[in-house]
Amino acid sequence: MDIDMDDVPMQDAELTPTINEETSINDHDDFQDIEFKPGSSGIADNKSNKPLELNSTNINQLDAWIEHLGKCEILSEDDVARLCKMAVDVLQFEENVQPVNVPVTICGDVHGQFHDLIELFKIGGPCPDTNYLFMGDYVDRGYYSVETVSYLVAMKVRYPSRITILRGNHESRQITQVYGFYDECLRKYGSANVWKMFTDLFDYFPITALVDNKIFCLHGGLSPMIETIDQVRELNRIQEVPHEGPMCDLLWSDPDDRGGWGISPRGAGFTFGQDISEQFNHTNDLSLVARAHQLVMEGYAWSHQQNVVTIFSAPNYCYRCGNQAAIMEVDENNNRQFLQYDPSVRPGEPTVSRKTPDYFL
Amino acid sequence: MSSCPQKRLLTKDDMEIWDSSQTKKELINFITDLAEAVKDRDNTQFKEPISAEVSSTLALLDSVLSVVDEHPVLNDTTSRFGKTEFRSFYQDVKSNCHNLLSKAFDTLTTNQIEQLSIYFYESWGNEERIDYGSGHELNFICFLYGLYKYDVFRLERDSTNIVILVFVKYLKIMRRLETLYWLEPAGSHGVWGLDDYHFLPFLFGAFQLSNHKHLKPKSIHNDEIVDMFKDKYLYFGCIAFINSVKTTASLRWHSPMLDDISGVKKWSKVSEGMIKMYVAEVLSKLPVMQHFYFSEFLACPTGISPYDERNEHLESEHVHSGWGDCCGIKIPSAVAATEMNKKGAHYKPMPFD
Repeated sequence: MDIDMDDVPMQDAELTPTINEETSINDHDDFQDIEFKPGSSGIADNKSNKPLELNSTNINQLDAWIEHLGKCEILSEDDVARLCKMAVDVLQFEENVQPVNVPVTICGDVHGQFHDLIELFKIGGPCPDTNYLFMGDYVDRGYYSVETVSYLVAMKVRYPSRITILRGNHESRQITQVYGFYDECLRKYGSANVWKMFTDLFDYFPITALVDNKIFCLHGGLSPMIETIDQVRELNRIQEVPHEGPMCDLLWSDPDDRGGWGISPRGAGFTFGQDISEQFNHTNDLSLVARAHQLVMEGYAWSHQQNVVTIFSAPNYCYRCGNQAAIMEVDENNNRQFLQYDPSVRPGEPTVSRKTPDYFL
Repeated sequence: MSSCPQKRLLTKDDMEIWDSSQTKKELINFITDLAEAVKDRDNTQFKEPISAEVSSTLALLDSVLSVVDEHPVLNDTTSRFGKTEFRSFYQDVKSNCHNLLSKAFDTLTTNQIEQLSIYFYESWGNEERIDYGSGHELNFICFLYGLYKYDVFRLERDSTNIVILVFVKYLKIMRRLETLYWLEPAGSHGVWGLDDYHFLPFLFGAFQLSNHKHLKPKSIHNDEIVDMFKDKYLYFGCIAFINSVKTTASLRWHSPMLDDISGVKKWSKVSEGMIKMYVAEVLSKLPVMQHFYFSEFLACPTGISPYDERNEHLESEHVHSGWGDCCGIKIPSAVAATEMNKKGAHYKPMPFD
C-alpha cells in the first residue's frame, strides 16, 4: 500500500460524531475466517446478575492457579473453563471506560512473552501491592500466549480492583487465527476449545480506562466518530472487534506526524494528528492519552507534544527487534515515571518434545 | 491492451474458486519446477552457459542494489522501528521500474512491461508500512513467472539458474533491505511461523538437500555445520540468518516450527512438506492472497468478486480530497460502508495487525 498521506484531510464536516450503535454492532456475518460462532464455548451461558463474590473457596482455587501459572505451566481445559466463567462475572460489570485510581502502573503489549511479563512484575513491583493497568495485546506471536492471558485473567479475577486488563486488537477471533494464539491453543490443548473460551471472554474486556479522570488509556487511539469520552460509554462493546466504526478505531488507530485524520496503512482504524489529540484532550479535560499498539525502540515514546504516549512492554519483540520495554508509573500526585527493562535471557532449552507438523508427516 | 494487474480475492467464496483454479495450479507447478531444478545442487552449481536472459535479470537486480546504496539510513532519530529511508529507496525503484525493465528485456512490449512492473516493485516490501513478508516474496515469484510466460525464460534452459543465481541474488538484496531499513515483518506469526520474512528459501533449500548423504534436517542444531554450509545451501543460510538476528534465546525457543521440522528424518519429506505448507499457508490464505495481483499472465478465474475500487483506493497512490469522494468516484462514508457490509455487498480486507 503506498499512500502519500502528506496532506490527506480526511476529517471534514461530515465526520462529526455519529454514534450509531446499529451500524457498529452485531455485525459479524462478514468475518471471513471465523470457523466458530461467538459464544459457542458456553462460558457466558450462565452469567450472574451481580459481580463475582470472592470467598475462601474460590480464593484458594485462584491462588492455586496463579501459583501454577506463575511457573509458566498451563491450566487444564476444565480449569480454563472455570476461570473464564468467573472472569465473565467480573468483566461484564466493568465499564467501557473503566475508572482507575492512582497510583497505578500502565503497561503496553505483551504478546505471549511470559518470561518478560514476570520481569515486568519484578520491575514494577508485585501485584496486588502495585496496581496495574494493561492496555491489551496479551496474545499472538510469542510462545506463551496461553500462559500469559491465563495468568493475567486469573490475577484480574483474584484482585479485581488492583488490576485492569483492556482489550487490544489481538484479543479477537479473526486476528488470533492468523497470528498464532489459535495455533498455540491447538498445539497445547489438542483442540480449539480453550481458544474459543478465551476469545469469547475477550468480548467482555473493557476497551478503555480513565486514570484519575486525567489519563485516557486504550490500546490503539482515537476515532473520528468519538469526540467525547461519554460517547465511548454509549458503545456496546460485548462483541467481536468490528471491522470499522468507533470500537474498531479505539483498538486500531495510531498517532501520526501528519495533522488531521488519515487512512491507516494497517487497513483498520485511522491515523490522527496532533490537532486531533489536542482537541480531544481539551474537550475531555484530559492531560494525556496513553496507548500501546506500536513497537517503540525505547519502550515508550511521546508524540504530539506530550499529548499522547505510546507504551510497549514486550522487550526484544519476537526475539529480534532489539527494543527495550517500558511501563509508566503514575503516583498519587499524578507524577509519571517510566521504568524501562531489557529482555530476560532464556537459558537452556525448552523441555517440550518436538511434534512434526502435519505437512511433514 | 489489457488492464492493469488487479487485486481480486476478497471473500471465502473467492478463495474456493481460486483454490481450484488453473491459475493457481500453474503457479504451483512453476514453483515446483524451480524447486526440482535445484535438487542435489548447491549454491555454486549453476548451469552453464548462463543465458543472456538470466544475465539481464541479474543485471537488473544489480541495479536495484545500487539504488539501495543511494538511500543510506541517515535519520536515526525516529522511534518507530522501520527506517523511513526505505520509502525513498522504494519510490526510486518504483518510478524507474519501467525503464529498468525495458532496458533488461528489450523484446517485451510496453504492455508486457506494465504487467510485470507491479510485481517487480511489490517484491521489495511495503512502502507505507515499511514491512516485508511472504506475500512480497510471492510477488517476485510472479515476476519470474511472467518472464517465463512472456518467453523470456525457458524452463528447460534456465530453471536451475533462476533459483541458484536469480532467486539467491534477490534473497541477498532482501536481507540487505531487511537489516538496513529494519523492515518490520509483515503479518508475521512470530514463533508460530517458519521465519519472519521468507518462505521460499526454505522450500528451495530443502530440495537442494533432498538426497544429501550427510546433512540431516536435525543438523540445523549444530552451529558448526550451520556455519560451514550457510553459503552453500539456502536452508542453512536461513538458519544462520535467523540465529544472527534472533537473540536472547536459542533456536528451539525462538523458532519452534523449524525445531519441529528438524525432527523429520529425511530432507525429501521436508521438501514435500514445504510444498504442501507453502500452498496451504501462503497460496491458500486469504490474509496473504487478498493482496495478490491478477494480470495478463496470471488470469483471474471467472466467478471471483468483481474488482472493488473501494479496496484498491486504500492502497493506491492518489491523495484523497475527502472521505466521500475518491478520484471523482463516490465512495461510501464509513457508516454507509458498514451498512453495506451488513448486506454482504462489500468485504473489507483483513487488516495488518
